[in-house]
Amino acid sequence: MNCKPFLNSILIIFLSTAVLSAAPDLDKGKTLFKDNCASCHNKNMKDDMTGPALGGAKERWASYPKEDLTKWMRNSQSLIKSGHPRATELFAKWKTTMTPFPNLTDQDIDDVFAYIEGVNNGTYGPKAAVAGPGAANTGTSSSSGFSWWLYGIFALLGIIALFLWNIISDLNYSKSKSEGDSSAHKKTVFDLLTSKTVIGFVLFGIILFGGYTTVNNAISVGSRKNYAPDQPIKFSHATHAGLNKVDCNYCHDGARRSKQSIIPGSSTCMNCHAAIKVGSKYGTAEITKIYASIGFDPEKGTYIENYNKLSNEDIQQIYSKWIASNILKEKKTITLTEGDQNEVDRQIRELTASLTSEEKPSIAGPIEWVRIHNLPDHVYFNHSQHVTVGKVACQQCHGKIENMEVVKQYSPLSMGWCINCHRETDVKFADNKYYDA
Amino acid sequence: MVDWNAKNVIIKIKQIQRMKNQNIQTWVDEKDLMEESFVQNLEGQEFDPISVESILEDEKSGFIETNRRDFLKLLGFGVGAATLASCEAPIKKAIPYTVRPDSIIPGVANYYASTFVNGGDVCPVLVKTREGRPIKIEGNPLASYTKGGTSARAQASVLSLYDYNRTQNPARVSGDGKTESISWDELDTAVKAALVGARVRILSSTILSPTAKKAIQDFCVKYPNSKHITYDAVSSSALLDASQKCFGERNIPDFRFDLADVIVSFNADFLGTWISPIEYASQYASKRKLDSATASMSKHFQVESRMSLTGSNADNRIMVRPSEQGAAMVSLYNLIASKIGSTPIPNAELNETAKAKLNKVADALIAAKGKSLVVCGTNNLSEQIICFGLNNILGNIGSTVSFSKPSYQRQGSDQDFSNLIKEMQSSSVDALIVWNANPVYDSPLAKDFTAAMANVKLKISLNQSLDETSSVCNYVAPDHHYLESWGDAEAKRGCYSLIQPTINPLFNTRQAPLSLLIWADSASINKLSDQPYYEYLKSNWQSNILSKGANASWDKTLHDGYLEADSSAGSAVFSCNVNEAVATITKSNATGTEVEFYESHNLGSGQYANNPWLMELPDPITRSVWGNYLAVSVKFDGDRRFIVSNGVKENGELISFNAKGETKSIGAVKQFGQLEGTSAIAIGYGRTKAGDCGTDIGTDVFPYCSVDALGYIQYFTVAELGNSAGIIEKNYASVQHHHTLGVTAIEKSSGKKINADEAALVDDFFKPIAKGFQGSLTKRSVIRQSNHKNLKESVEALHEERADFQKLNSHTLYPGHDYKYNSGHHWGMHVDLNSCIGCGTCAVACMAENNVPVVGKKEVSRHHEMTWLRIDRYYYGDVENPNVVYQPLMCQHCNNAPCENVCPVNATNHSADGLNQMAYNRCVGTRYCANNCPFKVRRFNWYDFTAADLFPVNQKNLNKETDKPFYADNIVRMVLNPDVTVRSRGVIEKCSFCIQRIQEGKLNAKKEQRALTDNDVKTACQTACPTGAITFGDMNNEGGQLSKKLQNPLNYIVLEEVNVKPAVTYTMKVNNRDESLDA
Repeated sequence: MNCKPFLNSILIIFLSTAVLSAAPDLDKGKTLFKDNCASCHNKNMKDDMTGPALGGAKERWASYPKEDLTKWMRNSQSLIKSGHPRATELFAKWKTTMTPFPNLTDQDIDDVFAYIEGVNNGTYGPKAAVAGPGAANTGTSSSSGFSWWLYGIFALLGIIALFLWNIISDLNYSKSKSEGDSSAHKKTVFDLLTSKTVIGFVLFGIILFGGYTTVNNAISVGSRKNYAPDQPIKFSHATHAGLNKVDCNYCHDGARRSKQSIIPGSSTCMNCHAAIKVGSKYGTAEITKIYASIGFDPEKGTYIENYNKLSNEDIQQIYSKWIASNILKEKKTITLTEGDQNEVDRQIRELTASLTSEEKPSIAGPIEWVRIHNLPDHVYFNHSQHVTVGKVACQQCHGKIENMEVVKQYSPLSMGWCINCHRETDVKFADNKYYDA
Repeated sequence: MVDWNAKNVIIKIKQIQRMKNQNIQTWVDEKDLMEESFVQNLEGQEFDPISVESILEDEKSGFIETNRRDFLKLLGFGVGAATLASCEAPIKKAIPYTVRPDSIIPGVANYYASTFVNGGDVCPVLVKTREGRPIKIEGNPLASYTKGGTSARAQASVLSLYDYNRTQNPARVSGDGKTESISWDELDTAVKAALVGARVRILSSTILSPTAKKAIQDFCVKYPNSKHITYDAVSSSALLDASQKCFGERNIPDFRFDLADVIVSFNADFLGTWISPIEYASQYASKRKLDSATASMSKHFQVESRMSLTGSNADNRIMVRPSEQGAAMVSLYNLIASKIGSTPIPNAELNETAKAKLNKVADALIAAKGKSLVVCGTNNLSEQIICFGLNNILGNIGSTVSFSKPSYQRQGSDQDFSNLIKEMQSSSVDALIVWNANPVYDSPLAKDFTAAMANVKLKISLNQSLDETSSVCNYVAPDHHYLESWGDAEAKRGCYSLIQPTINPLFNTRQAPLSLLIWADSASINKLSDQPYYEYLKSNWQSNILSKGANASWDKTLHDGYLEADSSAGSAVFSCNVNEAVATITKSNATGTEVEFYESHNLGSGQYANNPWLMELPDPITRSVWGNYLAVSVKFDGDRRFIVSNGVKENGELISFNAKGETKSIGAVKQFGQLEGTSAIAIGYGRTKAGDCGTDIGTDVFPYCSVDALGYIQYFTVAELGNSAGIIEKNYASVQHHHTLGVTAIEKSSGKKINADEAALVDDFFKPIAKGFQGSLTKRSVIRQSNHKNLKESVEALHEERADFQKLNSHTLYPGHDYKYNSGHHWGMHVDLNSCIGCGTCAVACMAENNVPVVGKKEVSRHHEMTWLRIDRYYYGDVENPNVVYQPLMCQHCNNAPCENVCPVNATNHSADGLNQMAYNRCVGTRYCANNCPFKVRRFNWYDFTAADLFPVNQKNLNKETDKPFYADNIVRMVLNPDVTVRSRGVIEKCSFCIQRIQEGKLNAKKEQRALTDNDVKTACQTACPTGAITFGDMNNEGGQLSKKLQNPLNYIVLEEVNVKPAVTYTMKVNNRDESLDA
């Protein structure tokens, strides 16, 4: 039997259900959000970024007059100065003021918040194209609207189709019977499933799906998303960037002026760690590695002369003394127990292993970090282009570094990923005279 | 000779047609030509096919030996390796500095002002360093004499830094030439002990550094029996002595080519090699640039026997034999004297033809009295005096020849050098210190010198490499490269520049003047200091030099790299008896073949022989690389055409060369513009101990130079040139006919194809010699040239023709789809052919900037050179004495690029700002694009020339089997520009308009939130050019430099008729030729 018209009808029903409507003010709000807010506020509205998550912001301000929120957006600093309770609370929590947007009209602000709420409660998705019967390109959009209830409709339609097929085959059977066809028999579901049409259809589906999966996986070969190798020093970005709020650009100062973001040298660490000698988590174990790399004597607070000429044994001696004295200080005793001595030896062993390698037998010298983000040689990527000119937040590509204890590669760093962002992001033409010419 | 070109100033379409017909009718040598299978093969061939034979020759190198078993093994290994490789990505390390220097931001280049100095060659430069390694040389625009220009030698000097053939340790040399590394202390102790009371001679090439001279003085104070002797391998001794006699000052006068309306040069190659070519070229070009149809330009006569770089740029060449130079000068003197009523001098015999021509030169000179300049390149005292005399009666002294800022770039004395040899022969020298000089190789007296060295007990070499001289010394105390040194230079009086190190010394070397100071136990250096010579230099500057500049401070001068003292106008009064001089000019010699030995443009006197960039830079005239060749007249050996004259075949032909009782076989090239009965060959080749690259390349001709009665070295000799003996030189490499833009014409009678490049100049008159007029004008609109007299008409005709082309091309198949590039940037370039002198500096700068590999002689002979920018040389005019046009040709970045349409993988495509881009990792090497390129500017990586691949199987050794492929050495690789991809085997590459510089410039402007200016983006070729011939910029930037240049009415576009819409515009080449001087 022929089930084509039947399947077509399913497709048409499915397509017409996929049409979603979108409010015009939300679209304007989206543009405003992208232009003004997205560099600091996460666009999923649920997570904090440089600024707090904006989902539910309106409710949080609900106990104050509406003008206060407007004032906050136009000039947060003056509101803080005026001693507004919500404003001071926010300032106390985030330690920064928001960029003032004096040009936003009340209507703009309403639009932005309508958009924010829309995204936050999931009612605002990408605007779907107008779809009519036969417009085959719309239905597969992977919007958030394409959710469980669509699958439900599919299942329902499938069941209806099965019923309808059953009715049709029954009718066909009785028709053949009435026409005197003795060989006619009632078709079972088994017959349906082993029919050429269905097998062909399923095979086609498998090939399509298999091809799609193969291509997708082939594309991601070499992609190291989520790559989080062990580093020679258990450096915690969560402690530095998250807890202590050290600016990314402080250590990675190349990001704003060079191609490379630059791994900071030991000398950069020393800017703080000349004073902070014992870590909150690992004690002396990790910070001593910096000292051993650059040749800093933490006890005297001075750099060791001709450090590069010292042998590894000399260096180990210097730093085991420091680690031991620190243990004694902590325990407020004057002799090391055997356990303490083992701890000192362990730390020194680990320090030596972390700072030396086949190519670099000496402890003194640079720390050899494991490179996480690797781009192919033919890629031209410039950090300063994105950070200084494009004003892209570090987190957009690197994820929430400030929460990462061990850094992992957040983005696939694939060509498709780059291109996708370049498609979606508008160049910041405004205020840059380069683009005027 | 008849000049066909006088009639056809501009090649118009109709004329082209007519000429084509003429030529085909009168093409008489087709039989000859057809014998040469290359003619058929040549046309349209981007790539010389590799013959089976040549692959079989490579059998030894191993890659042909792959049989089935090996194949299976390799396959197995390959699959295994690939599987393993895909299991786990390799762990890469990111290693930061331990203590990061303030000034270094990884990824951002730093520039330091310094000065390139090598003997008399000098160029104030800015050194581009990346993460502490120098990678590129730029000119220092603050220097008044170079104005930011550079030379090919200065550009290539950065590669010499990474020359692993440099001496890496101080060493003791034993009798059999073996070296044994010793420590500096050991060396110092041994040397100091031997120096006590010794009669020391320090032999050096020209020293421009006032501080180094002071160090030598300090040394001489400690060892009072010491003497410093200076000699130049290419000597200007006679010029200096003449200057002493005529003006009382033994310096090179300040020649002002920018003030001269008429320039007469007697064998002085002032644009190529003579004294200060960067300075002279920029001055010269300022008088040759034309920005309108009515602008004026200087007139330049060159009197010479060989086609020199300068001669090729001259308006008229008057050909006299090398020995007739003096006679020609005397004749000119008397012609002028009789015309202006000055006292004549005794006449010297000169042929009537030359005399008649000189008569016209005299007229031109008199018309430009006080604004003319006569220079002379011979090394004959009397001739130099007469030359000054000529300038004197023309009233040029004080204007174009002055002593306000005399040049110190040559200081050597031939007599001092020969006296030294005499001293050494008589054993009155105990110790000889050689510094930056190679007298065992680069002097005609080398034999005597080497023999006399046996009489000297202590011989120390301060040279950078273990060259011919160092290897016969006792001790080697290697000097730093200039990029590792502190130092200074005073190229002209009051024009000081500083040298500062841009990298830590790569090897265990020490600065030569510091060595001298240490041996002298000088009190002015602090041995415990880290940089004792820096302190010595600084204190010398603070006490002696800084005070001469206005408001000069050490820090500012170090930053600028250049300090100009307030000029004290030197008075130049000519007082010399020209009359007496005539008696001792070179006696003209009318018989025999005179062979001239000239300084090669790239290798100098051989000191640059180990620099692969310079070795592979084609000679501007013969366009040959990796070797020196006898240039012979086109009439040489009857009608017989040397195969090499076309430079098309892989093999060259040798002829016998007999001089000074020795016979050699040397490759010969038929050279247009070479006077019959003369020949010329470059010195600087045939070195025996230059290093991996320069050893045994070419023929050493220094021994054939001679010394005249007064002790001056003469760079020519009478020799016997045999006819071709049919001996073949394998792999003769000349690039002229590679990547030709010439078209093919069908020869009527035979129906065969002929190369229209050559046919274009064939005429009834040229029957006997028309074979192989290499690289002549083609009939396509590649070169446009005109005579200054007809400029207006020519410009009108040009406009008419361009309008025709544009009308033809105004139709489109896709109306409404033209992309106009009228918003944003549209990059373009302008090349002024009137400023281009063909020196090749841009080509070397391009190689340095863009990691262009060196491929070696054999590969060049197979058309595999990789240069992104080539300078095509075209002849026009008189066949025996033609004029020359140089055309730098790089990717034209066509808006209708034919290469883009044919790429099956979209590896080459067009950017929104008008660039034709290459995506190397997409390229699969079909080479369709190269075949479809009308300009033939795309290059294919036949081998892994850069050692970029993981496995070294595709690498190609340079010349000898022991040579490493270029860039295979880790030290050499340090010169690579990290901003430019190193291409691997199997991909096409080409000029990118220095995309890395464009990106950097754009980014800087964006970061600073301002509009892009002309100074943000300059290509490597543009900044290198000493004459400012190349302008790059945004065509949409109204008011920018490029937009101004594009207004020039002389502009044209190469092959405009094919409608590819190039982004590069050229100006018409205009000469100031006087046709009556041709015949």
